[in-house]
Amino acid sequence: MNLSDSKKKLALAGVVCGIVAALLAYFGNPANMAFCIACFIRDTAGALGMHQAEAVQYARPEIIGLILGSFLISVATKEYRSTAGSSPMIRFILGMIIMIGALVFLGCPLRMVIRMSAGDLNAWVALIGFILGIATGVFALKKGFSLGRSYVSNKESGVVISVIAVGILILAVFTTLLKSSETGPGSMHAPVILALIGGLVFGAFAQKSRMCFAGSIRDIILMKNFDLFCVIAGLFVVMLVFNLATGRFVLGFDTPGIIAHSDHLWNILGMYTVGFAAVLAGGCPLRQLILAGQGSSDAAMTVVGMFVAAALCHNLGLAASGTALDAETQEVVAGAVPLNGKVACVICIVVLFIIAFTNKRESK
Amino acid sequence: MRKKELKLVITFHTTADAMAMEKVCKEQNVPGRIIPVPRAISAGCGLAWCAQLEEREEIAAAMKAAGIEEEAMHECMV
Repeated sequence: MNLSDSKKKLALAGVVCGIVAALLAYFGNPANMAFCIACFIRDTAGALGMHQAEAVQYARPEIIGLILGSFLISVATKEYRSTAGSSPMIRFILGMIIMIGALVFLGCPLRMVIRMSAGDLNAWVALIGFILGIATGVFALKKGFSLGRSYVSNKESGVVISVIAVGILILAVFTTLLKSSETGPGSMHAPVILALIGGLVFGAFAQKSRMCFAGSIRDIILMKNFDLFCVIAGLFVVMLVFNLATGRFVLGFDTPGIIAHSDHLWNILGMYTVGFAAVLAGGCPLRQLILAGQGSSDAAMTVVGMFVAAALCHNLGLAASGTALDAETQEVVAGAVPLNGKVACVICIVVLFIIAFTNKRESK
Repeated sequence: MRKKELKLVITFHTTADAMAMEKVCKEQNVPGRIIPVPRAISAGCGLAWCAQLEEREEIAAAMKAAGIEEEAMHECMV
């Protein structure tokens, strides 16, 4: 089935992905997180022992499923292409920056939309930053920003990330080698098989529809084209209905238990960083996983950058904390971005401007 | 909904090439517009230049003069 020849079908792909996210939330993924690329990469980095934050360690089958779903569907439809060579180290840095921005906000663009659908006004505030970040990236594109072209590489090269994903899955299912949280968000998860199937389906539909949170807004700003936005709208509507139907829709700022904070400036700056970096890297965190699955070693470098930064964020105390309810006093303790996180976020924005306005297309 | 018709769709190696194409075409009144690469052509998410089939020669000449290299020229329904 051609999923991309009309806006209705694109929206349908979003609906399918929304249903997957809703099911995973229903079957045990953390409330209001459902399906977050940044959080799940962070959890997986924790499972591999890259950081020691005990509450967020779990090899998320969703991440593995996304990569493999994209890989399998692209092989099946002969769209798998092993490519590489477009400024890999800059893409690694962009991946790091995306993750640092995401963990200052507490979520990737996918989770931002899921949080928006659950009434979390912090996510709506962050959307302002995300749009501004994308607009800055588009401005850089108009000024001639380029990381250079990629080239076809050995077909084995593009498979590496999918093989690593299978390896992590085998370790997670058949050994006790990987770390797994006993409390906190890392301990909350849907059954492995469901999460894996959910990831595969999500990955396949995301590959077919080219779902991208940054790309959807980029295309609107750049070309007034709403194709990719339809996918996101479909996902949003399904999650909104799910949240309303199951009593998970809570309109407000201070909502304990959903892993979010109300530090408005840093919600905006965090997502500004993500939006800006995602346009430069050619896609949001979800899109990077999908592109990596279909053979792009450049996108795979961005994914590796996200893993490394996720570990750094927790090792160096950069990640924000969520507003929580004190179990003993029943008082709401406001979440916040630590000083280290704020400094890191500002450094990231400076680095983005340097990358955006020094890497230019070479005229022939 | 706008009826789809067979168009000339030019893809590029980088988004920056597509942006350069837009700039050159606007300056020189070369016909066409920038569009997302049609899904039927690519699983990537770059930009492409879309024009009428009969404008192929004029566009190719403008690209050559400006030093913009295409990845491919397609004819597809847009």
